[in-house]
Amino acid sequence: MKLVGDLLKRFTRMLAIVLLVVIGSTVLVRFAPGYFSDVREMDPRYARSARAELSVESARSNAIIPLLSAEVGGWLRGNAGISRQYDVPVLDLILPRLAVTGSLMLRSIALAWTLALCASLLSSAGPHPSLLWQMPATLLLAIPTAAMATMCLLAGSGGPVLVMSLLLAARDFKFLDRILRKTWLDPHLLYARTQGIGVTRLIRAHILPSIASQLSALATLSIVTALGALAPVEVIFNVPGVGQLAWSAALNRDLPVLLTVTMLMALAVTFAGVISDRPAEWKNA
Amino acid sequence: MTFAHLARWLLTGLVLFAFVVLLVSRNSYSNQDRESPLAGASVLHPAGTDALGRDRLVRAAFALLLSTGGAVTASAVTTAAAAGVGTLAAFGPASVGWLAMLVCDVFLALPWLFLLMMVRSALPLTTSPANSAAITFLVLAALGWPACARAVYRGALGLRKAEWALQARAGGLRSGQTFRYALPNLLSLLLPQFLISIPAFVIAEANLGALGLGIGEPLPSWGGMLLELDNSALLVQTRWVYLPVALLILMLLLLEALVAEV
Amino acid sequence: MILAQPCAGQAAPRAAGELAWTIGYDPKTFDPAKVDDQESELVRYLTAGVLLRFNRSTQKIEPKLAESWNLSSDGRTLTFQLRSGLQFSDGSALTSRDAAWSIRRVLLPATGAPVAQEFLSPGGVTVETPDDQTVVVRLPQRVIGIGKVFDEIAIEPAGHPSEGRITAGPFVVADYRRSQYVRLRRNAHYQERDAAGTALPYAAGVRLDILDNPEQEARLFQRGEYDIINGLPPDYFELLKRRLPSSVRDLGPSLNTEQMWFNQASSSPLPAWEKTWFQNRDFRVAVSQAIHRADLARIAYEGHATPAYSFISPANRAWYDSGISAPHEDVAAAEAKLASVGFHLRGSILEDASGRAVRFSILTNAGNAARLKMATLIQQDLAALGMQVTVVALDFPALIERLMHTQDYQACLLGLENVDPDPNAMINIWLSSSPNHQWSPSEKTPATPWEAEIDRAMNQQAGTSNEAQRKLAVDRVQQIVADQQPFIYLVYPNALYAVSPRLRGAQPTVLEPGLVWNIERLRLQEAR
Repeated sequence: MKLVGDLLKRFTRMLAIVLLVVIGSTVLVRFAPGYFSDVREMDPRYARSARAELSVESARSNAIIPLLSAEVGGWLRGNAGISRQYDVPVLDLILPRLAVTGSLMLRSIALAWTLALCASLLSSAGPHPSLLWQMPATLLLAIPTAAMATMCLLAGSGGPVLVMSLLLAARDFKFLDRILRKTWLDPHLLYARTQGIGVTRLIRAHILPSIASQLSALATLSIVTALGALAPVEVIFNVPGVGQLAWSAALNRDLPVLLTVTMLMALAVTFAGVISDRPAEWKNA
Repeated sequence: MTFAHLARWLLTGLVLFAFVVLLVSRNSYSNQDRESPLAGASVLHPAGTDALGRDRLVRAAFALLLSTGGAVTASAVTTAAAAGVGTLAAFGPASVGWLAMLVCDVFLALPWLFLLMMVRSALPLTTSPANSAAITFLVLAALGWPACARAVYRGALGLRKAEWALQARAGGLRSGQTFRYALPNLLSLLLPQFLISIPAFVIAEANLGALGLGIGEPLPSWGGMLLELDNSALLVQTRWVYLPVALLILMLLLLEALVAEV
Repeated sequence: MILAQPCAGQAAPRAAGELAWTIGYDPKTFDPAKVDDQESELVRYLTAGVLLRFNRSTQKIEPKLAESWNLSSDGRTLTFQLRSGLQFSDGSALTSRDAAWSIRRVLLPATGAPVAQEFLSPGGVTVETPDDQTVVVRLPQRVIGIGKVFDEIAIEPAGHPSEGRITAGPFVVADYRRSQYVRLRRNAHYQERDAAGTALPYAAGVRLDILDNPEQEARLFQRGEYDIINGLPPDYFELLKRRLPSSVRDLGPSLNTEQMWFNQASSSPLPAWEKTWFQNRDFRVAVSQAIHRADLARIAYEGHATPAYSFISPANRAWYDSGISAPHEDVAAAEAKLASVGFHLRGSILEDASGRAVRFSILTNAGNAARLKMATLIQQDLAALGMQVTVVALDFPALIERLMHTQDYQACLLGLENVDPDPNAMINIWLSSSPNHQWSPSEKTPATPWEAEIDRAMNQQAGTSNEAQRKLAVDRVQQIVADQQPFIYLVYPNALYAVSPRLRGAQPTVLEPGLVWNIERLRLQEAR
């Protein structure tokens, strides 16, 4: 019974978030400069058809309430509306891209966490600040994503997954290093170390469990960072994913696509919240 | 003499050096030596010139002061905001926490790009580059906190249920007071967040140039210099394009060392 | 495994004999009648069978599906004689019925074909087919350059528009993956042959990768993934010149111009005193005189641009007029000119007669490095006059909104792409009533006598087929523009291309579509 109530509460919360996000992003996109303009207006050859398209759009989205209901109606019809830039149902655009983006996200987060955990376990055991470990992490933070992509191109290897996971790993490392360092100094660990317990056993039996709740807090941060990095990485590497679509939709003020993408974002963010909430609750139980 | 001491001296030295460069150099950050764009090191231009023939050393020094000032302030503000919202949500009544996290989630999913566009269109076009820079860092600070706030909330919730906090409350400490003792325990989340936000803001400022925000020409933008690294055509012409990123890494490492013992 | 994966998801494996290059964005349509953007137009150029083709190299009209054509002396009746034995790519016969149907389809308002407006009054055009090989088109009025209009009308099977899947041109659309690539396949039934009798086109197909990233494009070109780079940015031109010196081509000035203009619209929300500055001829001329165009070309374009003083580039041999006298760099003259209309320096800051500091912004679009550099150079040049200039880069929709709708801007720096050497194609920029009359759009009546004179001269050249008279009228417009500086022309960017050393038959031209205008005769040398 408690489970059902809990699920219901979560579901209401998710619904509220999605609703707020839909309203918020409709207002943001619709009132951002350039909603009713098209670059082809400048070209005398294409200006006339661009203006015709704009007047259709302006008839459609002049008032915010009918616009909102039209967009929501698109979802109820099951196609999520018609993309403004491609003139096809949004779902047809997004569905094939979801798999690409999902796999990119999962692989990079997994790789990033493995990298960050290994590096921070090694570094936190050493003296502080350990330049050997801090240097590469800082380097990765200071180089813009686009520059990393150029380096990959120059080197002729490495792809979006590598860049994205390095990006995430550097961030996660900064947190993990600090958390682990503190944990090593916990009295019971110091005691255990003096007793001569093996390092692997220490890590498995003491360190990982004791930092579990902090790791879960980090998970949200990590997923949110990954979501933010998605668009630039996909655009730079020309990955046909949701991030790339979102970027071109933003440049073309493609409201139906943007709404669907932000809705997915909202779902991903709440999902990340759920993940990070879990372990804490297990512990309480 | 600890690492932190050394780092403090080096950082001060770096900033002082930047000031000295600006005072001593005969070049100004905006002066275009049009006869020698993308020149190598010379007596007149110790670190060469950029694509428009402007002295790279002077520009890097100026940008170091300007962007560091902006990014460090913005980063501090946003981390403080995250700490405030996160701990308040965790130590306050459950409904406040619920609401705060709802706001965070909504905040994280909204396309803020368009808000930035609106900010730009609300500003007069003749806004001076310095004001535009200040506004940009302000906006970055205002938009940067929710992800971290969520993590802080998670961490603080853990602390609230920790034994010492329960004991403290049983001993009659109000939750507002526990909060004061909880904060130091959250530093392992907040400090890295602060350090990570600095380069992120430096680069974000430059990316906002595409929306008409950011540090406008002719003021030198550190992020803008970092973004030069993505152009391999420029990389083959001069090695001095790596100077800004080297300075940034140096500064971040020193900051890292400075706060290592906190 | 992750480390070894290729750089990006694109650059699909190449089919044998396939040419590959990139386009910047997804074509909006494959329907040749509805083309209203540049990339769709390229696909149409590569796939469509047309009655006439405007040869981009000789700049002459050539018969294509038509064996011959003829324009009556009053300029109102066109007669096309089709070649015999023409076929569509599916093997079905192409007759005058198909041609007439395709032309009528373009003219129908329901189709919404942008080409239709080039007939001036499309409703009055009639198309007849006296026999299977003959098409007669009657126009209600003379249209300048009517031959070129047929370069844009694809002949499709009557009653079966196919979005480029069945064509009478060298290629057909075979496959399209949104935001990845467009694949074209050779049309086996294409009628043209080379001198040796080999069927054209040589290439088995074309793959157009959708990629808007010069860094990757240059990289993949060096690796042999792409055969061509159209419109190479100047910095990457220099990069490729170091790496593959034989691959780059600088054809000198293109037809395109980069220009700056002040907002003179009297309906704009600018304060009255700013309008007064911008509407003042001497102010504009002084600004023009203060700009060092040679520096713009040398620094912003690494030397791959030519200083510009008029809208017709020297590449446009038929219409270029070297006799125009335009204000050239002369800072002293600029200062004198400003002083003569009441501007004066207070300290280092220029003020107008009523003591207001001259401060304005130059807008440009984000993402164009050369323009941003030019704007920054101009900022410095104008600082020498005491003008305080801010440079603002905006994304295109926001920029266009200011330029076309709110008119809330002071000055703008942008480029204009000219596809057609005939200045009549630019008529919508010069007529004061046009929405594309950028410095003061959609004027009800010409705001100034000189704008009225431009209107007269442009209408005059559009109304006659006497080439000498047309040239005189266009020269007149050029001189007025040079005197008044509504557009301050900066540079003609050079036409820059990269061509793979393996590509045979390339004859680059400055006219769109540049390197691939003779696509039928391009082929890759076999690997040894």
